[in-house]
Amino acid sequence: MNFELTDEQRMIQESVERFINENYDLDTRVALCAKDPGFSTDYWQKMAELGWLGLPFDEADGGFGGNQVDVLVIMEQFGRGLVLEPYLASIVMGGGALKRGGSDALKTEMLPAVIDGTRQLAFAYAEPQARFDLDDVTTVARKDGDNFIINGHKSMVQNAATADQIVFSTRTSGGQVDQNGITLFLIDADAKGVSRNDFPTVDGLRASEITLKDVSVSADRMLGSLDNGFGILQEVANDAMLALGAEAVGAMEIMYKDTVAYTQQREQFDHPLSEFQVLQHRMVDMFMEYEQCKSMLYRATMETVQDPAAAQKAIHALMHVVGKYGIFIGENAVQLHGGMGMTEELRLGHYFKRLLVIDSMFGNADFHLQKFAA
Amino acid sequence: MDIELSTEDLAFRKEVREFFEANKMKPGEDYATWRLDWFAKAKEKGGWDVPKWPVEFGGPGWSPTQHYIWEQETARADLPFDLPFGLGMLAPIVMGYGNKEQQERFLPDIRARKVNWCQGYSEPGAGSDLANLKTKAELSEDGTYYTVNGTKMWTTVAHMSDWIFCLTRTDASGIKQQGITFLLFPMKQDGIEVRPIITLGGSHTVNTVHFTDVKVPVENRIGEEGQGWTYAKGLLQHERTGLAGLSRSLVALEQLKENARTVARGNGTLMDDPGYKAKVAELEIDLMASEYTELRSLASAAAGEAPGPESSILKLKGTEIQQRIQKLTVEASGIYAPAWGAEQIGLPFAKGGMAGYLSSRAYTIYGGASEVQRDVIAKNVLGLKRSKK
Repeated sequence: MNFELTDEQRMIQESVERFINENYDLDTRVALCAKDPGFSTDYWQKMAELGWLGLPFDEADGGFGGNQVDVLVIMEQFGRGLVLEPYLASIVMGGGALKRGGSDALKTEMLPAVIDGTRQLAFAYAEPQARFDLDDVTTVARKDGDNFIINGHKSMVQNAATADQIVFSTRTSGGQVDQNGITLFLIDADAKGVSRNDFPTVDGLRASEITLKDVSVSADRMLGSLDNGFGILQEVANDAMLALGAEAVGAMEIMYKDTVAYTQQREQFDHPLSEFQVLQHRMVDMFMEYEQCKSMLYRATMETVQDPAAAQKAIHALMHVVGKYGIFIGENAVQLHGGMGMTEELRLGHYFKRLLVIDSMFGNADFHLQKFAA
Repeated sequence: MDIELSTEDLAFRKEVREFFEANKMKPGEDYATWRLDWFAKAKEKGGWDVPKWPVEFGGPGWSPTQHYIWEQETARADLPFDLPFGLGMLAPIVMGYGNKEQQERFLPDIRARKVNWCQGYSEPGAGSDLANLKTKAELSEDGTYYTVNGTKMWTTVAHMSDWIFCLTRTDASGIKQQGITFLLFPMKQDGIEVRPIITLGGSHTVNTVHFTDVKVPVENRIGEEGQGWTYAKGLLQHERTGLAGLSRSLVALEQLKENARTVARGNGTLMDDPGYKAKVAELEIDLMASEYTELRSLASAAAGEAPGPESSILKLKGTEIQQRIQKLTVEASGIYAPAWGAEQIGLPFAKGGMAGYLSSRAYTIYGGASEVQRDVIAKNVLGLKRSKK
């Protein structure tokens, strides 16, 4: 049993932390959110040069052979810095599906550019009727010679507007909520019949609704095998949840520490707020839940590295605590900052909004509690 | 004890409903004209435009049950927009502590909704600890006017207001509750600068207001110099009970259920989801109890008694209920909760739900933060000694 990071991981952690300290103050972030593409392409290139984009890919694919622990190290720091660049969408999700399900030829064609940052990917897994159920898929792919013809609607696709290719979950057989009969395809974002409605999300990021109308895709763009895409879909979602959990834990750390600092400096009734016992206890609770979330993050991540098939419950447990206590910490951080916590001027509110979005992406605290109990 | 509505009460409810129905805005009608008209007609009904004002100032003199009926009906009806600052917060002070001339000068325009007021209380260093305020008012040598300098913060609708009622410091030598003076002055004049504060939902309702050498004639002072805190304290009580918003929460709860019923889950809807349904039920139960807490409070007020201990919990319970309704709306939005921007994405209530949730976090901060409310209850109701800190 060992919770120490390796030397390499510690170096990455320090390097991400330094990058954020040097580049990611609130004003910069707000300015990046406001204009297209919603993040910094310079930062993205820099992340590629620093080797972060290649981290979770096999050495044979041009990566560094890292695992979920390495991604945790990066995403936790991204959470502390409230980073906008599409690491989750392009590397963890799009790249995660491609590395698992792509043919050697497809990986050779695609992955080097993903790793060097010149190609971006996205992952379209959600549908309007499905809420949080990954296996509820109505987007249909029909075989047509050597191609498949795809029709349907995907929702809340993160970073679709800047993606060159997008991974879609489609139904090739079975009923609407069958796990068998789901097939994944990698489709060019500008393919004929793909139309997007782009919009901002409340956390300053961007997403799209995507309609597919008679989109033709070659069978060699299939990821995994026909009708058996759900396994990959779930594994990618699990990696994404671990990454989001790490990001959330990083954000929670900033929120509770900012609150402790603010209450020490803000005086009311002739005393710093931090001297009031009721507020001290509240901050102790925030701190405790942060530490518990971090423990659950370590647990779910390490269990996944050891045996992905046995880690599903731990991942649901992680997303339950991250949703529940992330919002607990966020609400109380705002409350203890008083009116200032309600403004866009402090970074606090921006972290809070990110935590709210994390609680909606792959299921909220309730959803994961039910999955855990099932 | 009896919860049956009397024949008179039933007749009153019918009359209220008929009035609301008859005075709805008609297609093509100008909103501003309709609004002022509506209040004029409500006045003709015998003070229905100022339900909470005392009879001697034109109020209707309703029983607690009638107030309750009115609250319930107004929450459901499409009424013209109204703000509490002039009508509910300043007016009671002018009635209680203003002189006759001031009452005649200010009350009619408040009543007619012709003048919009904002409240100049909080400051950068005076939030929960309101008495810590520093905005300075200096009396001229000839004793005819004050010169006001300082900064107010979190001033709701300052950018849309004609006048402000303002707590200022005229004497800093004693304890901080002393030396506070209550002044009224117009917002549109030199020396007043209003800057927006953008809050988490992205909206602009609160402001920072800077005063530089603003001259205020002494006849705009309410009551005695240095006694402003006494007047404001009574007003704060008004503000706090007014913030519970239970009738609106009842309507919002219905809307919440309706929204959840549009979210399909399996063979049913989100309202069939056991986890979600249980949370809605818990909320509803708390709301049912709070409604009767409010009624008990209204009844003792009508009997001329001081507000009982039950009234102190209304702001706390009421605002927490409002926040929970907002949170459950966000949960109902599911994957669409984050959708932002100009267009509606996914579910019709998603964006409003998120904006409402974010704004609702202020409910337990303004008008006395929940922590301060609990201090007040501990001290005044339970009779506990002030904790060391």
